[in-house]
Amino acid sequence: MAVHDDCKLKFLELKAKRTYRFIVFKIEEKQKQVIVEKVGEPTESYEDFTSNLPADECRYAVYDYDFVTAENCQKSKIFFIAWSPDVARVRSKMIYASSKDRFKRELDGIQVELQATDPTEMDLDVFRSRAN
Amino acid sequence: GQFLGVYSCVTCIDTHIWCVCVTDEVSAIVLDLGSHTCKAGYAGEDAPKAVFPSVRTLTFLCYVYVKVVGSLDQMEVDEPDEPEKNSGAVLDTKSKGKRKLYVGSQALGFRRDHMEVLSAMKDGVVVDWDIAESIWDHAFRVLAVDTSVSSASVLKKDRPRFRDLGIKRITRSEQIQNALTHCENLTCLANFTIENLLKTKAGAFLETLRRKLNGAVILVKEASWECLLVDPKEHPMLLAEPSSNTQQQREKAAEIMFEKYQVPALFLAKNAVLTSFASGRATSLVVDSGGGSTTIAPVHDGYVLQKAVATSPIGGEFLTDCLIKSLESKGRTIKPRYSFKRKEIRPGEFQTVDLDFPDTTESYKLYSQRVIASDIKECVCRAPDTPYDESSYSNIPMTPYELPDGQTIEIGADRFKTPDVLFNPSLVQTIPGMESYAETASSARGLPQMVIESINKCDVDIRRELFSSILVRVLLLDLRLCSLLLRRTVLAKLAGGTASMQQLKERLEKDLLEESPQAARVKVLASGNATERRFSVWIGGSILASLGSFQQMWFSKSEYEEHGAAYIQRKCP
Repeated sequence: MAVHDDCKLKFLELKAKRTYRFIVFKIEEKQKQVIVEKVGEPTESYEDFTSNLPADECRYAVYDYDFVTAENCQKSKIFFIAWSPDVARVRSKMIYASSKDRFKRELDGIQVELQATDPTEMDLDVFRSRAN
Repeated sequence: GQFLGVYSCVTCIDTHIWCVCVTDEVSAIVLDLGSHTCKAGYAGEDAPKAVFPSVRTLTFLCYVYVKVVGSLDQMEVDEPDEPEKNSGAVLDTKSKGKRKLYVGSQALGFRRDHMEVLSAMKDGVVVDWDIAESIWDHAFRVLAVDTSVSSASVLKKDRPRFRDLGIKRITRSEQIQNALTHCENLTCLANFTIENLLKTKAGAFLETLRRKLNGAVILVKEASWECLLVDPKEHPMLLAEPSSNTQQQREKAAEIMFEKYQVPALFLAKNAVLTSFASGRATSLVVDSGGGSTTIAPVHDGYVLQKAVATSPIGGEFLTDCLIKSLESKGRTIKPRYSFKRKEIRPGEFQTVDLDFPDTTESYKLYSQRVIASDIKECVCRAPDTPYDESSYSNIPMTPYELPDGQTIEIGADRFKTPDVLFNPSLVQTIPGMESYAETASSARGLPQMVIESINKCDVDIRRELFSSILVRVLLLDLRLCSLLLRRTVLAKLAGGTASMQQLKERLEKDLLEESPQAARVKVLASGNATERRFSVWIGGSILASLGSFQQMWFSKSEYEEHGAAYIQRKCP
């Protein structure tokens, strides 16, 4: 599965310059490549992010999660989310699951990975627990 | 006329229609040889075209392709003048002695003296390669068919039960109608052998089509519609293999595929990985409980963690045996189909006459009983909400079940006891008649225990993720309840195993959250769609083999010739 250059570029911008809150990636099966579907401004919230994930289709996503540590420090971690809802088509799930590894390797700097098949698996509680 | 896309005909088991189907583009073949059923079909499709159920004589479904019996084959026949037409299977006369090989559910539905039933697999992996080969042969070969009255009557007796597969029975005219609508310019032909068919106009048309499309023509005859008329030389083959397959077995499979079947390319994919991917997860714990065994395999990022794979000989067949023995201990014997005849003496009134066949082998008798008991199990058994114990279930209301010989039996506690053996194998000791298995059962661990042990053998970092994605593929029981029960028992075991099941719910979860965060999200998943569940491995393989990105991963024949079978380890990790 080829990865469009834009994916890496946008990811690097998120990582280095904090230009985006999140990026949603989509696999274009016909072109056999991963492309950027949507990006979110730094001012956008977690809810804005989840509303951009279709309920019945798979996606990959990257989210810049801000949190406060026990020592009261502001920190942020970059999350990679493999979104594969149970109601999605088997074929779609298969393609995303089997290409995930290769795609993830292109994004250098991911700190936490989440596998989510329903909204509860990627809610803020999960983010919080995984950030520490 | 125009040929557009895939044509398929619907056929019901009871007819003698030759239905002809032509597929489009030849693509890779996906083969999943399970201990209970073998599933074969083309990559890119949603379901296998050829499903070979082993213990059931029921031949399945909505597509007309083939069904081949997975685990049954070698049989010995002493009668040299055995009417071949009845077998509906490939006959392979071995040179040593008068040994004949039968594969196919129809063949098995017909009782023969001295006929033994043997399996290619044990504990989920292939142990007898000769048998496995003959199963594959059967999958690929055309079965020369002949309709004969006797085979028809055998089949009528073996009226299959559709209820568990949710398939509607359709009438003959409906079938013909469906066939005609779906196959433009192709006619449904009755009682034709393949040679005769090809001589007809329709046959000639088919041949042209086949050549033009470079496709496979599948000819099916109801009595023995068990073939995928396909030349393995033309198709890359994706084999689904058990997660506990050894290096040796993989090499052997590669050898057979390349040397005997001359496949152009091969790929071996682990069952657990395919199931995992098919559910959208690259990391999960796959609990696969099929006919012959149960396997628990953790998958991480698409790779099976070999050291943590656990198997147990307790599978659907074992549970069926438990049910048989339990019923016997209560005085109810299951009469195999061949051992009686039902005559209608007055309209609506039947009389059962016992038949005696002293030369029937024990294995065949058991096989025939299992067919019936398996149906009972699937119809009335349910996984209990709480672990089974004699006292709680002693007053359970009985459910009636009508046996093929007309007798009605009542099943009570066994409805719940049988499935619970999967969770708690020590229950086997309480079933009289299962003493010979007591040893196997005592060393076998229950499902929840195996799950926890397997996860604990994995890296600490991924345990949490595994706990939260336990995929269950239990084919033979009520899955929803099974999953719930599995979840509860896993939680209970994590809590120390002695927590009273009554209070399991929120309290336990709350306690666990405090004590061990990794157990917080024990999520047990099961696909709701019955077809998906049944064929999840096959579907995974089908999709994988049709992905553009996968095409470079095939282990090609030239690579095999250059590097040998051992190279399979590198190409198919």
